[in-house]
Amino acid sequence: MSQEFFEFFCPVKIAAGYKALEHIPFELEVRGASRPLLLSDAGVVAAGLVDTVTGAMGSGGASAGPLFDQVPPDSSMASVRAAVALYRERDCDSIIAIGGGSVMDTAKAVNILATEGGEDLQRFAGANNLTRPLKPFIAIPTTAGTGSEVTAVSIIKDEDSGTKMPFMSQFLLPDVAVIDPRTTLKLPALITAATALDALTHASEAFTCLAKNPLSDAYASAAITRIARSLIPVLDEPADAGGRLELALAAAMAGVAFNNSMVGLVHALGHSVGAIAGVHHGMCMGIFLPHVLRYNLDARREEIGEMLLYLAGPEIYASTPHSGRATAAIACIEALRDQAHQRCGLPRTLAETGKVQREDLPRIAAMSLDDGSMIFNPAEVGYDDALAVLEQAWA
Amino acid sequence: MHRPAEFRPAGATVRPGPGIPYPLQRAYVRLMMWLVGRLLQASSAVDPVIMREVAELPPGFAFAMRVRAGGPGFAMCEQDGRLRLMPLQQAGRLQLSFDFKHLTHAFLVLGFVEGTAVSFARDRMSVDGNLGAGMKIVRCLNRMEAVVLPKFVARRALKAYPPIGLGEKLAAATRIYARMLLQLVGGK
Repeated sequence: MSQEFFEFFCPVKIAAGYKALEHIPFELEVRGASRPLLLSDAGVVAAGLVDTVTGAMGSGGASAGPLFDQVPPDSSMASVRAAVALYRERDCDSIIAIGGGSVMDTAKAVNILATEGGEDLQRFAGANNLTRPLKPFIAIPTTAGTGSEVTAVSIIKDEDSGTKMPFMSQFLLPDVAVIDPRTTLKLPALITAATALDALTHASEAFTCLAKNPLSDAYASAAITRIARSLIPVLDEPADAGGRLELALAAAMAGVAFNNSMVGLVHALGHSVGAIAGVHHGMCMGIFLPHVLRYNLDARREEIGEMLLYLAGPEIYASTPHSGRATAAIACIEALRDQAHQRCGLPRTLAETGKVQREDLPRIAAMSLDDGSMIFNPAEVGYDDALAVLEQAWA
Repeated sequence: MHRPAEFRPAGATVRPGPGIPYPLQRAYVRLMMWLVGRLLQASSAVDPVIMREVAELPPGFAFAMRVRAGGPGFAMCEQDGRLRLMPLQQAGRLQLSFDFKHLTHAFLVLGFVEGTAVSFARDRMSVDGNLGAGMKIVRCLNRMEAVVLPKFVARRALKAYPPIGLGEKLAAATRIYARMLLQLVGGK
């Protein structure tokens, strides 16, 4: 594919691997910060992960600062305001987010108000409405999927209007993403599988959609390789710290890729299913990815075929005829999803989620057409096309 | 050694620019912005597909397509279920803007060298504001291009040419161009 111009941006420092958490005091110090606000949610606290982080910080001579652990599953304006109030009350000077996507989204929004002042978050909603760097921000992901630790987007639910407000700015990017295998070791098998398929979808869509570019391709292909190699071994051996780290790195790499190349129809459908039926985002991704790749086959046969190299390795790639590589790559993804299903019950169809009603499919198809991701899908998608993909994914 | 095309690295092909002097590009883009705005205004009054999309826009929804740094462009707003042009300079707070980062990028899109989606994907424009409504505007533009442009030109501008029969296309195009002429003459 000829890509005559592209932009690629990722200024996030990634501190990854053994004792990565112990580097936090150093990262705060070099940014002139000493009083971080810790942001997390009740589940992460209950899993002992906040204690792990504060213990690591203490061993390095840093005090952890106040903890706000009331982030809800869907980031909300109320929780942002409450966290900002605590930030100001305790005179904090930086933010450390410990959690999944909603904690990261909340932390990014808190950082806006902590830096800009005031209570009106809405005036910064939309794209590129921030004009200066924010307070030092360290992100510690506790799932290996969203890639939020390296993305410049935050979605916050406004309870008053019932809408979700998107914020997009390069200044939302964390200064540091700390990826330590200890933070994902206790992740349940089902969430491990669902979030890994979320990351696989980020990488696959970055690799096949309209905004793909040589640099995002490098991140996406490396992410696909790691997920294909490590997901099933980690499901079989959850305490495999090396495999956990591979998945967490893959999620970050896929995040870098899609933060620059965006995503397409899989996400457009997944966002709508999530909004209408409340299905876990990663589960939606695992269900839709093979069907959408098949839908995009005519527009992206070469790229999907190349994915076989990263999914199955050089021997299988070399022994598969060129004309059959794309369908073989899709079959690999289906096999990966089916193996995950056998191990942890990851749903393979919309019907298996138990949350989606078949009569909802037309509404989901209509809603997905207005999703911003749709513009990046390589093949044009109309209502009938979206509905057809949903029907294929039904059972 | 010859390398098969499948191994050619992505991004290795760079097409030369249009090679047209900037004043001519500016004049062309200004003309096309003028034309696209008026065709969209006319389409929103007579084309049922576009009318359905406009009906779902928020009341008073205002948007602009322009070349940044004061370049050519147009602004429109929803009014009584239709799109109405408004002076770009007098446009108040916009809910959506398509801003080409350079004149040549607009020239490529309005010269039908590359489509709107591809231009966006290649970071040649920034789209700020209500993206959900933005998708409706993109679909309006796609439908209008499919109808009013010759098929071989529209194919270059769109990801996929929709299944429109020649009869339907000619009838729809006639309605749109006629409406535009009426609006130009009558000022409505």
